[in-house]
Amino acid sequence: MASDATTPTKIKKLSPGELQILWADGHETRHLAPLLRGLCPCASCQDEMTGKRVILPLHIPDSLEFKKIELVGQYAVHFEFSDNHGTGIYSFEYLRELCRCPLCAR
Amino acid sequence: MAIWNREKDGPVTEAKVLDVLKRVQDPDLRKDIVSLGFIRNLKVDGGNVAFDLNLTTPACPVKDQMRDEAVALVKGLAGVQNVDVNMTAEVRSTPQMDRTALKGVKNIIAVGSGKGGVGKSTIAVNIAASLAAEGTAVGLLDGDIYGPTMPIMLGIDQPPKSINNRMIPQESAGLRFMSMGLLVKSDQPLIWRGPMAHRALQQCLFDVEWGNLDYLVVDLPPGTGDIHLTLAQQVPLTGAVIVSTPQDVGLRISMKTLRMFQQTRVPILGIVENMSYYICPHCNSRDYIFGEGGAKRAATELEIPFLGEVPLDLAIRQQSDAGAPIVVSRPESESAKTLREISRRVAAQVSIRAFSTLPVLEVE
Repeated sequence: MASDATTPTKIKKLSPGELQILWADGHETRHLAPLLRGLCPCASCQDEMTGKRVILPLHIPDSLEFKKIELVGQYAVHFEFSDNHGTGIYSFEYLRELCRCPLCAR
Repeated sequence: MAIWNREKDGPVTEAKVLDVLKRVQDPDLRKDIVSLGFIRNLKVDGGNVAFDLNLTTPACPVKDQMRDEAVALVKGLAGVQNVDVNMTAEVRSTPQMDRTALKGVKNIIAVGSGKGGVGKSTIAVNIAASLAAEGTAVGLLDGDIYGPTMPIMLGIDQPPKSINNRMIPQESAGLRFMSMGLLVKSDQPLIWRGPMAHRALQQCLFDVEWGNLDYLVVDLPPGTGDIHLTLAQQVPLTGAVIVSTPQDVGLRISMKTLRMFQQTRVPILGIVENMSYYICPHCNSRDYIFGEGGAKRAATELEIPFLGEVPLDLAIRQQSDAGAPIVVSRPESESAKTLREISRRVAAQVSIRAFSTLPVLEVE
């Protein structure tokens, strides 16, 4: 459910492979394209019924980049990556959950 | 009128007028009308003050109240003799609507319900026709691909003309509308799987020459499915109106629709309770057939706006079947007045959304 922690105020591509998200609670998240690609929530990357991952970050080359970034309605972000995969819809909640900054990783 | 002492109070100035106008609050936006930029073309000429009060919708439910307050405050200023307020309105756009394929559309309002048969289409068509009657440009999209009813309710079932591969919406009751029922014969069923329905809705949304619209009302099919997801994903919806009957069963199912909108972060503009009570045509007594106040209680609990109660009224059904919404065909009736009130509350909620924000995307 929507809260400041899961409401982005700004989504910025810092480099071809790095994304910055600023959240309404003041937090900052940086996401690398290979990690997001490896944790793609679409039905071909993770089993629809069991949730078991088919694709893992270790399958993805470090050189992977973002090809296209766009908002989905007002609840998620859609990415197309340089390997032409683009079926995942990343909800704001998921993007915050994936934050790997020292504070969140603890 | 205050006694004016030129020596002591000095002449009336624009600054003084704006200063007192700051005391007028827009009750929906919870800000004063000066900060909101509602005051335009302010002219002070000796004791005569004139300005435009530019609201966010001509369907504003509290416009008279705000005008009267503004006039009284300015008249209270020392030295003011005449106050001339010109009421204008300019519907603001939902943030980022201009980035979509629907550039000319300022706001999209979805009307949904948990189950069928609660009168969702009737409410949708009357809200749309009411907003049009207030002088705004309104479109209505019949999102019920499988069971379109708008051609009946609006009395037109001719296929739309098309120019350059774009369909021209039909016009009725002061609004432009599009429905699958205009494209398929009314007795022919559409037997489609999800992806076809998805494509059909996309076409009815994006391949139609809507022109400039203040509001596009989308009448959703009942429940939570392909059409709802398509809509929530393809456009930044301004918000959703949930239609429910007072009955608990009906309400609980409406909650599902509500949660779906919340999960896709579509703001809830409020709940309309339909079939709230029955007015006996013989003795005029009210019967709460499905129980009283169910939707209002739920709205209070969930902290979402309650938009109003619509009675079970034979005339609403008759006018719908005859192809003319009651707010247009019998505007003086009690039910029409109730529906007009509801549509003004919807417009007020839409105005609030226009001041909300979406994330800024910097990806180029």
